[in-house]
Amino acid sequence: MKREQIGFYFNQSRCIGCYTCTIACKDWHNLELEVNWRIVTTKEQGKFPNLFVTHLSLSCNHCTNPICATVCPNNAITKREEDGIVVVDLKKCLGKDKCGAVCKNVCPYSSPQFGTEENARMQKCDLCLDRWVENKKPICVEACPMRALDAGPLDQLKTKYGNIKKVDGFFYSTKIDPSIIFNPKTPSKEI
Amino acid sequence: MRGRAYRQRVYAPDRLKYPMRRVGARGQAKFEQISWNDALDIVATQLKKVKDRYGSASILYIGYSGNNTCILHTPAVVMRLLNMFGGFTRIWGVASCEGGVFACRATYGTLTTGHWRNDLSNSKLIIMWGWNPAETVWVPNTSFYLAQAKEAGAKIVCVDPRYTNSTATFAHQWIPIRPGTDTAMLVAMAHVIIEENLQDQNFLDRYTLGFDKFKDYVLGVDDGVPKTPDWAETITGVLADTIEKLAREYATTKPAALIASYAPGRTAYGEQYHRAVQVLTAITGNIGLHGGNPAGIGRAPVGKQLGPVMPIGINPNEAKYTYIRERLKRPIPRSGTVHISKVWDAILNGKDGGYPSDIELLYVTHGNPLNQFPNTNKGVKALERLEFVVVHEQFMTATAKYADILLPINTHLARTDIGRPWTSGPYYIFNNKAIDSLGESKSDFEICCELAPRLGIENYSNKTEEEWLKEIFNMSKDLSTDIQDYDEFRRKGVHKIKRSEPAIAFTREIKDPKKYPFPTPSGKIEIYSEQLSNLHKPQIPPIPKYIPPWEGIDDPLTRKYPLQLITPHIGRRAHSIYDNIPLLRNLKPQTVWINSKDASLRGIQNGDLVKVFNDRGEMVIPVNVTERIMPGVVSIPQGAWYRPDEDGVDRGGCANVLTKDRFSPGGAFCSNSSLVEVKRV
Repeated sequence: MKREQIGFYFNQSRCIGCYTCTIACKDWHNLELEVNWRIVTTKEQGKFPNLFVTHLSLSCNHCTNPICATVCPNNAITKREEDGIVVVDLKKCLGKDKCGAVCKNVCPYSSPQFGTEENARMQKCDLCLDRWVENKKPICVEACPMRALDAGPLDQLKTKYGNIKKVDGFFYSTKIDPSIIFNPKTPSKEI
Repeated sequence: MRGRAYRQRVYAPDRLKYPMRRVGARGQAKFEQISWNDALDIVATQLKKVKDRYGSASILYIGYSGNNTCILHTPAVVMRLLNMFGGFTRIWGVASCEGGVFACRATYGTLTTGHWRNDLSNSKLIIMWGWNPAETVWVPNTSFYLAQAKEAGAKIVCVDPRYTNSTATFAHQWIPIRPGTDTAMLVAMAHVIIEENLQDQNFLDRYTLGFDKFKDYVLGVDDGVPKTPDWAETITGVLADTIEKLAREYATTKPAALIASYAPGRTAYGEQYHRAVQVLTAITGNIGLHGGNPAGIGRAPVGKQLGPVMPIGINPNEAKYTYIRERLKRPIPRSGTVHISKVWDAILNGKDGGYPSDIELLYVTHGNPLNQFPNTNKGVKALERLEFVVVHEQFMTATAKYADILLPINTHLARTDIGRPWTSGPYYIFNNKAIDSLGESKSDFEICCELAPRLGIENYSNKTEEEWLKEIFNMSKDLSTDIQDYDEFRRKGVHKIKRSEPAIAFTREIKDPKKYPFPTPSGKIEIYSEQLSNLHKPQIPPIPKYIPPWEGIDDPLTRKYPLQLITPHIGRRAHSIYDNIPLLRNLKPQTVWINSKDASLRGIQNGDLVKVFNDRGEMVIPVNVTERIMPGVVSIPQGAWYRPDEDGVDRGGCANVLTKDRFSPGGAFCSNSSLVEVKRV
């Protein structure tokens, strides 16, 4: 069995903040209104007219040491041996009312999500496993009109895009080691 | 993004699925379901009654561009029916870019003025004038091509009152400018170029007419006012130094694409902006070459946005075009027609107000005019006055609420049609029917087929949807030559037009001007237009001029309403379409943007509910206090659904409760020329 880590690449200098990734994800996975497996946030810095605005599109980062799995009281969250994708077992998940949504509370990216129903089970990005088995990239990657997202074996992504782990607005921790690399956006000198 | 959400729209619980008759007062949205037979009988009876009593010109038809596809399912199907019935009063004016249409006709004699977007990577400098494709898309993959051009080393400058997502992603330089003053900055750029002798004189000598007359205006020979960068600084709020540098850079970098978006032209005298920007591209010789751009309205010569539709026949109420000149091919105003800004005024004032007729019956398809045409509150009064209103719709829009008979329309997924590229590009799309119509909804074409016999019309259509498609396909020279095999096209769904290089406008005219003159009266690019001169209207001058706009910074009304309102597009809607889809609504709330300086002057904090108002209307809306808009300007994205409370105050964020229903002398739709004040609630 292959033992590799699948991860994401996000090109921040290309992202136009259009939310196509968020919508494509919600459409593909039939997510309810309040649930987002992928979220786009915008950060505005500076004073008129000297501004710097960045977007960040994030889902679950399928961390090397997923802290959500560590804290789960019923071992419902596991990291797959073969590709490092972090998955949740709905049968084992106790539900947010019973456990207090500890996985969501410890995740620095708020990736674990809960629906509005009573004692909702945890749900989050599974890297489109249904597509992955058909050798298709996740729907967010396919949908991005700017080709600002990519997914694949992290080693290959690093060869292609470099190994930049930090970007403006993103919390990086060596301890959990999120499986995502970036092309950061830098302010233009003339702005 | 909207396409990815389309499933939510098609199957939305609030889709209209049955014909309905109004039972409450107009605007209350109280309806009862009736049968198609009854609904169509009522519509036919009312049409006949109104025609017999008041004449066919008392029927006003508003068919716009929502919910239509390209060659068959368009407003032409209704116009054909109404013309066969004896005619109607028609609207004129393109809300998007009527000023641009005017300018393209005057300067170039044609609307075919675009480049395929993959030509952007040939540019060394791209000036995005009021252009925000990150939000508006504006030709598929435009933002992607801009990113590629930037990564290939092009310098990109954005001129815009807002720091948009396009500015944030692409721009090396942001130049905030006061709305409605773009022409002044463009003219001042020309001043710098002329003073420093940077113009492309060969190009001007060979291809253009009247540069000297424009030069006289710019240098102030006529009026004693040299249009210097200092002159422009006071008007535009852009530093003279910034104007000078950009002018020099544009004149000395070749090829350079100055892309003139439509928004700055949606202002009072907006056609002057479009004319000025075109003249600037001529002065720098950036026309007809790859990587340049003639700053037209963006249709390339191959892969066209428009072509033949169902033949509509003759409308006896629309007098033959009183051309202001043969080449301009559009009367101002068009006789027997009503400008889209004036439909409410026409309904309220009729012949006494100088309009072609007294309107008694309104027929609306493919659009939501109460929400999308200016001065919504006047629209409410107009709709209340009418004898009969029929609306074709998919949802209970602001306009639909005023219908007497409301007919449910299917979506393009339940119809077959052919899609053309918007606004041009290397592809055509076959729109194969994918699902059955929801509930009892029908297409506009089916409705017209069933109305025809009720109106005593026998020959409305003797063809099926499929037969019409093939007939119009064969009538379309470009479709029938670009696509060899209709059936294969249908099977594949997409036809790609293959070209070794991007299609761009005016290559022939530049290569061989003798054989291929520009389609203007002089055969040249007309910086000076004799046909405009012959109009003898100082507000439609023969050369582009800066004319201070109404409800602009010089208007005395600024004492009462000191803030300029702009009404841009927002990515989660296409105009008013999709505003009711929760999946998209949830992404971004409808807010008014205001600069932190203007906010603190008024004691306003980010997230407060504020009142935005002027003499035309009032709305209550959350505020976004941001550095991303220049002081003195506020913005409310157009298209949010009008939702008045019991006091008539809009709670939905419909920008048109504030916009002025007046059109520019050259026809421009002036949705960005309104003054307002903002207060804490």
